[in-house]
Amino acid sequence: MSYFPWLTLIVVFPIFAGSFIFFLPHRGNKVVRWYTMGICLLELLIMTYVFCYHFQLDDPLIQFEDDFKWINVFDFHWRLGIDGLSIGPILLTGFITTLATLAAWPVTRDSRLFHFLMLAMYSGQIGLFSSRDLLLFFMMWELELIPVYLLLSMWGGKKRLYSATKFILYTAGGSIFLLIGVLGMGLYGSNEPTLNFETLTNQSYPLALEILLYFGFLIAFAVKSPIIPLHTWLPDTHGEAHYSTCMLLAGILLKMGAYGLIRINMEFLSHAHSIFSPWLVIVGTIQIIYAASTSLGQRNLKKRIAYSSVSHMGFTIIGIGSLTNTGLNGAILQLLSHGFIGAALFFLGGTSCDRIRLVYLDEMGGISIPMPKIFTMFSSFSMASLALPGMSGFVAESIVFFGIVTSQKYLLMTKILITFVMAIGIILTPIYLLSMSRQMFYGYKLFNLSNSFFVDSGPRELFVSICIFLPVIAIGIYPDLVISLSVDKVQAILSNYYYR
Amino acid sequence: MEHTYQYAWIIPLLPLPVTMSIGFGLLLIPTATKNIRRMWSFPSVLLLSIAMIFSANLAFQQINGSFIYQYLWSWTINNDFSLEFGYFIDPLTSIMLILITTVGILVLIYSDNYMSHDQGYLRFFAYMSFFNASMLGLVTSSNLIQIYIFWELVGMCSYLLIGFWFTRPSAASACQKAFVTNRVGDFGLLLGILGFYWMTGSFEFRDLFETFNKLNNQGNSLFPTLCAFLLFLGAIAKSAQFPLHVWLPDAMEGPTPISALIHAATMVAAGIFLVARLLPLFTGIPYIMNIISLIGVITLLLGATLALAQRDIKRSLAYSTMSQLGYIMLALGLGSYRAALFHLITHAYSKALLFLGSGSIIHSMEPLVGYSPDKSQNMVLMGGLTRYIPITRTTFLLGTLSLCGIPPLACFWSKDEILSESWLYSPTFAVIAYFTAGLTAFYMFRVYLLTFEGNLHVQFQNYSATQNISSYSISLWGKEAPKPGNSVFSTMNNNNENENILFFFKNTYEFDQNVINQMRYFTTPFLKKKTSMYPHESDNTMLFPLLVLVVFTLFVGFIGIPLVQGEIDLNLLSKWLAPSKNLLHPNSEDSIDFYEFFTNASFSVSIALFGIFVASIFYGSPYSSFQNLDLINSFVKIGPKTKRIFLDKITNVIYNWSYNRGYIDFFYTKVVIQSIRELAKLTDFFDRYIIDGITNSVGVISFFGGEAIKYLVAGGRISSYLFFYLSFILIFIYFLFLSL
Repeated sequence: MSYFPWLTLIVVFPIFAGSFIFFLPHRGNKVVRWYTMGICLLELLIMTYVFCYHFQLDDPLIQFEDDFKWINVFDFHWRLGIDGLSIGPILLTGFITTLATLAAWPVTRDSRLFHFLMLAMYSGQIGLFSSRDLLLFFMMWELELIPVYLLLSMWGGKKRLYSATKFILYTAGGSIFLLIGVLGMGLYGSNEPTLNFETLTNQSYPLALEILLYFGFLIAFAVKSPIIPLHTWLPDTHGEAHYSTCMLLAGILLKMGAYGLIRINMEFLSHAHSIFSPWLVIVGTIQIIYAASTSLGQRNLKKRIAYSSVSHMGFTIIGIGSLTNTGLNGAILQLLSHGFIGAALFFLGGTSCDRIRLVYLDEMGGISIPMPKIFTMFSSFSMASLALPGMSGFVAESIVFFGIVTSQKYLLMTKILITFVMAIGIILTPIYLLSMSRQMFYGYKLFNLSNSFFVDSGPRELFVSICIFLPVIAIGIYPDLVISLSVDKVQAILSNYYYR
Repeated sequence: MEHTYQYAWIIPLLPLPVTMSIGFGLLLIPTATKNIRRMWSFPSVLLLSIAMIFSANLAFQQINGSFIYQYLWSWTINNDFSLEFGYFIDPLTSIMLILITTVGILVLIYSDNYMSHDQGYLRFFAYMSFFNASMLGLVTSSNLIQIYIFWELVGMCSYLLIGFWFTRPSAASACQKAFVTNRVGDFGLLLGILGFYWMTGSFEFRDLFETFNKLNNQGNSLFPTLCAFLLFLGAIAKSAQFPLHVWLPDAMEGPTPISALIHAATMVAAGIFLVARLLPLFTGIPYIMNIISLIGVITLLLGATLALAQRDIKRSLAYSTMSQLGYIMLALGLGSYRAALFHLITHAYSKALLFLGSGSIIHSMEPLVGYSPDKSQNMVLMGGLTRYIPITRTTFLLGTLSLCGIPPLACFWSKDEILSESWLYSPTFAVIAYFTAGLTAFYMFRVYLLTFEGNLHVQFQNYSATQNISSYSISLWGKEAPKPGNSVFSTMNNNNENENILFFFKNTYEFDQNVINQMRYFTTPFLKKKTSMYPHESDNTMLFPLLVLVVFTLFVGFIGIPLVQGEIDLNLLSKWLAPSKNLLHPNSEDSIDFYEFFTNASFSVSIALFGIFVASIFYGSPYSSFQNLDLINSFVKIGPKTKRIFLDKITNVIYNWSYNRGYIDFFYTKVVIQSIRELAKLTDFFDRYIIDGITNSVGVISFFGGEAIKYLVAGGRISSYLFFYLSFILIFIYFLFLSL
């Protein structure tokens, strides 16, 4: 195979091509939309082509390595590479971003900037998932924030400035800890800064320092993931953002935290992780119950969905903390599955909110008759979200359950207790999801507004939701599709824990 | 003939294409799909018939030379966790297959007519086919995970079908209630599966039983009992047993064919199926068997008492279903696998017959009283339907008699078997079971008499409208359903609440004067308002399934008659169940004493007859040949007046109990729902004002701090900035030296 920097191309292409948006002729929004759509599709095509033909599934090592020296002074490289862990999130990014661009069709206000920001986010996310250099990882992490902030503060709802400020302060606050961790890790040991992931994997630290580093990274990722009690930016942000932004936030951005947790905390700091993992499991368990019951108390539709995603991320954290093959695979599967389901729920919730111009659940009702298609899709996705078998959520959650049950790290009583509390989440999930869909769709109501807003979802929206629905079903019926991507890498990561 | 076994995997998949094509058709090309709507029922019936032929073939093979067949595919491949998918065919599976497919086909044919004018006709058939597919999948599953998967899927189908008429607020809350209550059961099921997986390392039934019995040799411990109980919790919720039965009566908000198929014959039998399937596991733990039988006894009594005074015809049938499921659960708890399955079969056919019959009644009443379920299903407004819908009446009567346990109808044989088994086990349970048999006869005949005897009471609909269902069925997890105000009659309703509850009683007492009055103004007001004055018999498409089910009800009992006459072995069921029986009771003899059987049977039949007699005293119409005035008068005049008041009080208590659903729903609303709401409020408060409050206050404090520094300290002069800067540096250096 002749060498070609495929990954560099994939990472740079969207933002590079996106910057040409500003040079497009002023001929309405249509040109901008189609141009962006074309870039997204092309990117997705390149990605699938490359991964189909050049990626070896059975190889747990890094592939497609691109390594260019960037800043000589402190050995900073543009170093990219992917493995089984990151290929899933990258494909998810491509898929969701393309669909989010399609979902953002009605955005007309300042559409050039909007679409450019979408593409910038695209690059940043892929860059994050594929970076193999600690400083590059941090840069991509930060690059991500600015587009989100702008998208939130310019295209959001009524309280958008408050939410945007909260978001930027929260995540920037988390980034400080990330920076501390990155520098601490890079500068430890030798005179030369070591930022390469590969050398870092084999490095060992004194326990106190390792715990300190672990804690710093944990805070940064906990803000993003989110882990309670650092989650309060999320409902506000999701409540205010435009639904296409919400799709990106819920579908991809939240996954960065958990990805970082696996990539850095689990791979590099394995001692500290095995110390902290019981706490992670406990926090995850509390999070499932806590977020589910908080979600029940929300009046705002979008906030309710936002809390549901907080609750679902609890499963990921438990899977990461379970220290078993099964559990970690389940965690990765839950990442992807929630990426699809959460994005779709936000999309459908957002579109129906825009139509009826209400956001509070107790004011809604009876819109199933004018909008049967939205009703169908929304109920399907709430079923997927409450882990109905045959859909991806069920597989992911049950694998996490098996992971925690078979885990050898925990005692019987703790396992019983944790499983029990997790399973209570199974009862709470349908309560909030079904009561949400009942309050929105069921019943009968005469509307005072004129009928023109009450159009059912058109072909574009139907296409978006069916596109997300298909992988959900596919993963649910044949989970090996996704598990096979990550299974070798997971084993490689966890072998550190068994042999030490 | 092993070919059929090899291709048995196709059975659960057969009804799926209908669902998928209707689903995609409705989403993508709605108009075209709707134009050929009535055509869709044909493929669904056809595919299910093919499934029935397959399962009949399997059943014949099971009867002739029964052996257990299992086939597996691997589903997920992981290094230390592999999950297999497959199917498992044994006598239990083949019985359930036959049951589901036969009832399913009849219900599909029936609902083609029943739902023909509904907007959601196609949706209905899509859901139905999906339900059939997942139910067939449930009974053919080969491991616990598969059971859990299909368990949830049938639960979802039930949710969708209960909420089929989603514009009704009561249906919306009923379907959510059903789903969440079932989720409580699923919670137990999942935990039980995980517990047994942890203990035995397997999900597959036979491995599970073997490993568990090896492990369990040293005696009972707490953990296996707990896990078994958790598994049983799933069955409790699905089969509407005592603490989690609340969803079943509300589930009657769905269309009537659904009530017949899902909530009487098949899905509620899934819990029974699970317990029967895992019986080798449960028999190893005596404690859990006691719990099963105890739950069964509580449920059968509770269901029967709650059915006593229901007004809604479907609700009283639902409580009757619950009570009969209690019988089956009791039989399983006693360890008599055969009696339980026998009653499962007979009850399924009889109850399906009754539900379809009630659907036919509702269909005929709807044009007269309106389409609201609290009118068309209200037995107060019915009566004297014998004249108008004779075929439905005959079938309904046969179903009622069967459920009461009158020979030679189906339920007699099976119920009698359970009753005599319970006598062997514990006299207390037996007394309750026998007593409930009498109650069953009473409430079933009450339904029958109120519906078919006497006169049509359509003119009472104003009375009934005042007591809207929503006022006493507490709408759980939701907003209160809007009460249709009826100003004139609501005042009347408030004045005599008690009388309203005792409505039927008053009615029958004063019947003789009323009849003439009613007949007089019967004709005039209704001619103007309604197009048709009298109820009409349903179409042939609806009557055909009823008649087929009558045939089943008449003859299905004969498969399990314990009498062996000469050389002809009539006992088909025992032969069918031979291998499972060997698994459970290695050396049990089938010899049943004829004399013993006869005494038992005569006892239970006499109890049932007594129940029927009492019912006919209370609810019999003045025209029925049974009742002469002397009898009622003598009964009424027996005691002095004080005694009558006492009797009234007792009936009052019973009626209140039944009317308020044993106060259990009330309890759940007050305690469970309220506490969940409080928890939600509490966490929301905590989240908003404490966790978020800290964040916001940090923001606010830093903002004010910045402002304060801006205005108070510096004032914009460079000299003061410098002053502060230097002074802080000095302090810092001071501390640095101090530490050195």
